[in-house]
Amino acid sequence: MSHTRYQVSLYLLLAPFLIGVLLLVIVPAALSFGLAFTSYDGLTPPDWLGFANFRHIFADPLFRTAVLNSLIFVIVTVPMRTVIALGLALLLYRPRRGVGLYRAAVYLPTVVPGVAYALIWLWLLNPLYGPLNLILGGLGLPTLAWLVDPRTALLAIALTTLFQVGEGFVVLLAGLQEIPNDYYEAAALDGAGRFAFVRHITLPLLAPWLLLVVIRDLIVSAQNTFTPALLMTGGGPYYATLFVPLLIYQTAFDRFRFGEGAAMTTLVFIGVGLLILLTHRLFGGWGYDDAV
Amino acid sequence: MMMLSNRPRYQTFVFHLLAASIALVFGLPALWVLAASLRQPGTPPPRTIEWFPDPIAWGNYAQVFELIPLGRYLFNSLLLAALAVPLTVLIASWAAFAMAQLPPRVRYTLLALAVALRMVPITALWLTRFLVLKELHLIDTFAALLAPAWMGSSPFFVLIFYWSFRRIPPALIDSARLDGLGPLAIWARIAMPLARSATVAVSVLTFVQYWSDFINPLLYLKSESRYTISVGLRILQQLDATNWPLLMAGVVIMMLPIVLLFVIVQRAFLVEGKIAGVYGN
Repeated sequence: MSHTRYQVSLYLLLAPFLIGVLLLVIVPAALSFGLAFTSYDGLTPPDWLGFANFRHIFADPLFRTAVLNSLIFVIVTVPMRTVIALGLALLLYRPRRGVGLYRAAVYLPTVVPGVAYALIWLWLLNPLYGPLNLILGGLGLPTLAWLVDPRTALLAIALTTLFQVGEGFVVLLAGLQEIPNDYYEAAALDGAGRFAFVRHITLPLLAPWLLLVVIRDLIVSAQNTFTPALLMTGGGPYYATLFVPLLIYQTAFDRFRFGEGAAMTTLVFIGVGLLILLTHRLFGGWGYDDAV
Repeated sequence: MMMLSNRPRYQTFVFHLLAASIALVFGLPALWVLAASLRQPGTPPPRTIEWFPDPIAWGNYAQVFELIPLGRYLFNSLLLAALAVPLTVLIASWAAFAMAQLPPRVRYTLLALAVALRMVPITALWLTRFLVLKELHLIDTFAALLAPAWMGSSPFFVLIFYWSFRRIPPALIDSARLDGLGPLAIWARIAMPLARSATVAVSVLTFVQYWSDFINPLLYLKSESRYTISVGLRILQQLDATNWPLLMAGVVIMMLPIVLLFVIVQRAFLVEGKIAGVYGN
């Protein structure tokens, strides 16, 4: 087979994937950018509105609530989820007897489907007979109304996400196993303590992996509020758990305001992009300079 | 000297104590869910944590199937996953094989594309994907739920295959090319047999993705006859949100295949250190 024919055949193998990306990502993304400036309801042809959708959204107190809730959610969950995944990976990365079972237990909640996970937590957090309040009451601690109280509902949903950290855990586990043994031996010879060692050797070497986990988690956390909010609270009580994805769903699919939904969608793109840039800044680059 | 020889044993004890308590926190709720699913419906809720309901109401599991057409939903979910897994493996591994073989400049562009795709917020695509699918007359069909498989279900799956294919010695592929084999033949006879663990990983993750999928069926289906298990659980919740034994029975039924699958493959994923092979660079 000639070189050119071989190359052409390779592009043919690539074609289904590229067509899929075009139809499922690039066209929809371009379309939402276009529709954001129109009044489209799915039936009548779209009318050009200029920035009217954006003006309307920014003036809408519900949108402001949803953005604020989503931001609080990301700010609360991403650092905690990262720290939990890192702590678990540091504890369980060395081969020891029984470590496989511990890793499996830690990973278990991550594979539970979203709908099942939301229903389980709805029951665990039930104020009257949910196991969590039974335990707190049994220990003589104050019980909370969790999802029923507008002051704690968002934090209760945030709490549920702290156990689905399997993806970050596995990535950091892989990162830790890549660190050559020489480092550990050299540090042990120098008499480095455990914490000094983690602080000065493990963490810097793990930086690129941590950045990967944090960025992935930012994107996931900005969106994975939809299923819990829809099933556990419906956005309530008093809009305490109204997040941007739920608002987009209600605007577009319940009220058929596709133009307005597209404008919100465009803002999500910009918002997530800004969050990623900010994280990149905080980490001081992509962190690959000191990678092994 | 005693101190020195005792220290590792003491450390091992602390490690197991810590790790076991964490594992308990992560795993215990699964047992509570099981216990809750076997409680007699209609009886007053327990005032303490209940481990063994008395009497054990096995009938709850039969009752869920009578209350909603759960058999139909399970069949639909199974069919969806059974179609999605081979399609995903095919398209993701083809794309990855081409990526691994194309000249460096094209390869890096495609790698950057795959990484960028991982960062696209999927919620921002719901609405306009709906419009694209509507234009293709795919709304309320299984094809709409299968659509992500056309791009390999997740750019991550393409990357998993790519990492696996890059580790194949170039000499092996070059000699096959000298024998006159085309890309499809090399992919089938050399690349795929050498990427077994990547294939297993992608298959398992794809199964879980489609079995768990809630948002695509919610957005793109209308006919009840096509509903999947996740939409079924939502319907069960809307029927009677306070019947916890039946809801938890539904949850157990939905989780069972995934937990079983996970138990079967977890050695490969977590124990044998193959994670670096799957996730590593």
